[in-house]
Amino acid sequence: MIGKGLLKGLGITFKHGWEKNITIQYPEVMPNLQERYRGSLEFDPQNCIICGMCTKVCPNNVLSFESAPMPGSKKKQLVSYTIDLQYCMFCNLCVEACPTHTLYFTHNFELSTARRGEIKRVYSPPAEAQLLTGESQAELIPAEALEPQPDAEAEAKRLKQLQAIKGAIARGNSKVLDKFVDFEEDASLLMTILQADQKKQDKMAELMVDDKNKARKVAAAFVAKEKRDKTGPEEGKH
Amino acid sequence: METIFIDIAEFLTSWMVGLGLAPLWADLIITILQWAVIVLIITVNTIVLVWMERKVSGFIQERIGPNRLGPFGAFQTIADTLKLLTKEDIVPARADKLIFKTAPMFFIIVSVMLYAVLPLGNNMAVVNLNVGLFYFISLGSLSTICLLMAGWGSNNKWSLVGAMRSVAQMISYEIPLAFSLLGVVMIAGSLNLSDIVTAQNRLWFIILQPVAFIVYFIAATAELNRGPFDMPEAEQELTAGAYTEYTGMRWALFFLAEYTNLVAVSALAATLFFGGGQGPLLPSWLWIIIKTYLIMLVFMWMKWTFPRIRMDHLLSFSWKVLIPVSLANILVTGAGLELFRWMGW
Repeated sequence: MIGKGLLKGLGITFKHGWEKNITIQYPEVMPNLQERYRGSLEFDPQNCIICGMCTKVCPNNVLSFESAPMPGSKKKQLVSYTIDLQYCMFCNLCVEACPTHTLYFTHNFELSTARRGEIKRVYSPPAEAQLLTGESQAELIPAEALEPQPDAEAEAKRLKQLQAIKGAIARGNSKVLDKFVDFEEDASLLMTILQADQKKQDKMAELMVDDKNKARKVAAAFVAKEKRDKTGPEEGKH
Repeated sequence: METIFIDIAEFLTSWMVGLGLAPLWADLIITILQWAVIVLIITVNTIVLVWMERKVSGFIQERIGPNRLGPFGAFQTIADTLKLLTKEDIVPARADKLIFKTAPMFFIIVSVMLYAVLPLGNNMAVVNLNVGLFYFISLGSLSTICLLMAGWGSNNKWSLVGAMRSVAQMISYEIPLAFSLLGVVMIAGSLNLSDIVTAQNRLWFIILQPVAFIVYFIAATAELNRGPFDMPEAEQELTAGAYTEYTGMRWALFFLAEYTNLVAVSALAATLFFGGGQGPLLPSWLWIIIKTYLIMLVFMWMKWTFPRIRMDHLLSFSWKVLIPVSLANILVTGAGLELFRWMGW
């Protein structure tokens, strides 16, 4: 019969019309994930034996850690452990390699963050672990400080950095400022301020090399002042 | 309940005459009011229909469809309309500006004019025209000119191809559409839509003219440019066909007119084949709404079931199948009428 196929098609869509929807209302209803689903990669600092297997096996250099020798022992001590999840392809190799199940996948798949830097996770050892070696804290944390550097070399490095930053500001490369302000538009705003005033530029560059916290504060103050100056007269116009 | 709208109209007329207005002016104001009501009905209908279309397609595809705004997502279309109203109105630099701008206006005007003769209940046609059906069919084919205007004015290859397809489709499908309705007209003996409804007092014409109904339904789908005959739009081939260059409210007018045409064609099907406003218990205007919506549901069901037909198949289907079938239907109907007359019914 002509049109039999059409009727069959209509029948199929009619049947589907009454079937249960397969949509999952995600934010309200969480999807039912499989047991071995690889969500976020997590790290448990307590169990880590600093064997370095994970960093060796990782194909994308996602994992890195800093360690320091434990005083009075051959063992090492964890200073910080970094998972830069933006490069992770969730291949499971590190989890397989880890002998103490310190690295593991969770079912958390909500990995998006507001800023790029937040994807990177830095774990530090738990407080109890630090208490055990309380007296050696001071020499433990600044890892660079353990290797004493000749003063002249440090000074040369500092000057080099200073020059690099000044050069970048002169060229208008606002990327150097990203670390010191919260938003990109602030960075470009700060750049215009610095370019306009040579004195500010020198001072800022020195601060950026010597005292990063202070540089942040000064940058925020500059930006806030500029914004006030900018919006003030404009509001008057309207 | 049955005559509530007629009563309101009569009350308003007598009130205006009582105020000292000439009866002619009162009638004119009532006619304008009727048109305003029709435009209101069209707008509300479109809002409901867009929501319904999305819900129906969702259910068929085992999705939920719009469900965020209001109960069951019912306000989604209102939000969409607000968005369309605030969008930028872009007229392409190389477009034929006059034709480009007037095409959507003509389209919506033609669509609204279809409602003049539709009896939206007993004695509820705005104009009780004695050639109502003829008027309806001739106006229905005018909408193609608006599509051609849109396609030509846009100065865009997709638009023009879409418009030309629409014209070819209209020329092919207007004939079986008119022929399929001839059977009904022959039995009812009138072109007046109200008379045709009255002629179905005892038996709906769907039982007497099933072939005509099927031909009408297929031809109407093609005339409406709806799936599976949506060749003029054909998103996958022509981006949006004749509507490619339109934005914001101009585009929305096309959309509005398409759904308006859908309602009109479905209401005509309900009038000609399903006894119009006839039905038990409920008032006639409610019955015609129910029947129209049921027919529109079938239109949507078909759209979300069948894939788009190829252009040459579309045309050959009309010329080689629908026109012979509708001609045969006229022949059989005529012979049957003669037979019954000879038997003395």
